[in-house]
Amino acid sequence: MNRAAILRGILGAVLLIGAWEFCVRFFALPQWILPPPSGILATAWSGRAALLPAAAMTAYEALSGYAIGAVLGVGLAMLLALAAPLRAVLLPMVVAVNSIPVAAYAPLALLWFGTGALSKIIMVAFIVGFTVFLNALDGLTRVDPAAIALLRSFGAGRLRLLWTLRLPAALPSIATGLRISTVRAMIVTLVTEMLGSQLGLGWTIFQAVLLIDFLQVWAAILVASIISLLFFGVVSAIERRVVFWR
Amino acid sequence: MLRAALPILLLFALWEAAVVGLAIDPFYLPSIRVVAAAMQAQSGFYLDAYLVTLAEAALGFAMGGLVGVASALLFTRLPMVKDMVLPIFIVSQTVPVIAFGAIVVLWFGNTLMAKAAIAFYLTFFPVTINTLAGIAAVDARQVALLRSFGAGQGAVMRKLLLPAALPRIFTALRLSASLALAGAIVGEWFGATRGVGAMLLAAMFNEQIVSLWASILVAAAVGGTLFAAVALAERAMVFWREEL
Repeated sequence: MNRAAILRGILGAVLLIGAWEFCVRFFALPQWILPPPSGILATAWSGRAALLPAAAMTAYEALSGYAIGAVLGVGLAMLLALAAPLRAVLLPMVVAVNSIPVAAYAPLALLWFGTGALSKIIMVAFIVGFTVFLNALDGLTRVDPAAIALLRSFGAGRLRLLWTLRLPAALPSIATGLRISTVRAMIVTLVTEMLGSQLGLGWTIFQAVLLIDFLQVWAAILVASIISLLFFGVVSAIERRVVFWR
Repeated sequence: MLRAALPILLLFALWEAAVVGLAIDPFYLPSIRVVAAAMQAQSGFYLDAYLVTLAEAALGFAMGGLVGVASALLFTRLPMVKDMVLPIFIVSQTVPVIAFGAIVVLWFGNTLMAKAAIAFYLTFFPVTINTLAGIAAVDARQVALLRSFGAGQGAVMRKLLLPAALPRIFTALRLSASLALAGAIVGEWFGATRGVGAMLLAAMFNEQIVSLWASILVAAAVGGTLFAAVALAERAMVFWREEL
């Protein structure tokens, strides 16, 4: 992306927020239609005593689930990369399960693991695990056959192949899976929190909708978006460092 | 068709084998026969949920797909606007936009429109971004060639850019199909009385595990219907793709 395009992007964002604030004030839009950006910021600031613990809980659930899911996803993919026949049977089933939206089985997690943090962490680990697994497996199995044949000819075994060839070759797709998973982890946390929890931004949003407190809904979404952006930014920065040759 | 059905049948077989073989507590996983019987006993109820949620998701999904492709084409004609709007679209993919569903429900109330609107915007952004990426990947020399034969902007769009972007568009549509469904289901959580989302919520609150599993299967059926529709459209429109 060149400089002019970046500048236009910033201009676009500023124009959008400016137009939003202007329209709300000029047409005197009622709060339930659209609160002004300044009002949302003010609500978030004045309600920070309640929003911060909720945000901390949401971040804790999303990050723990993300870490567990990432390790499980890569580990399982490595196992299945070694076992081609098992892969042929399991993969279509994994894809079939993966096409059911999270929202459909989140209630199960709540029934099984209660309304505490555990149900959210397990849900996030599950979804992140799926995403990372599918991406990692794709990378691990899409290695140049000539490179495999070469290493084989030097007497490398399966494990050796996995460690010195498949894993480095799969790093870009694993990194992609990890990057996509950041946003999914946040979405799953929020969605599962909406179903029931003691603390968390998803719960704040759900409660605020029931109380028809529009500013609070917007403020909670703002905080959730900031966490999500930070999370995404940090993982992308690490990705650029680790997968430097991309 | 058979290739799609096989993993599902295998999954059902595994499910039943696990329940019988490992004697799993029915609180966690009831036998699929019990779930199927419950669905049959209240088939009207489950069919209604299926149709309601399918209507919401499909309406929003179809609109989102059409408007997404149309805006990508519009942005291609107006690069200035594209540069201003595209970054916002991309950022929108890194924040949990599904949470805005709460606001949409507050705007429209518990109507079909509210859920369709959520499904719409969850579809719209990825389709726009992918269509633009597909158009950007077109070889400039091909555009130049068509131009040299006197093709206007509209003809280049219809005959080259849009067909070239189709595979990417369908990739986005496949991804968005489950997003649209998730949007419809979450939209139903805020007080709806019909639909898969409402059913899921009721089953959860009443701790009816059989009905919860039945609802999950209905959700999967809605998702499968959307996927099948996308796959059929893809086969008809992207006929030159070999692997299909």
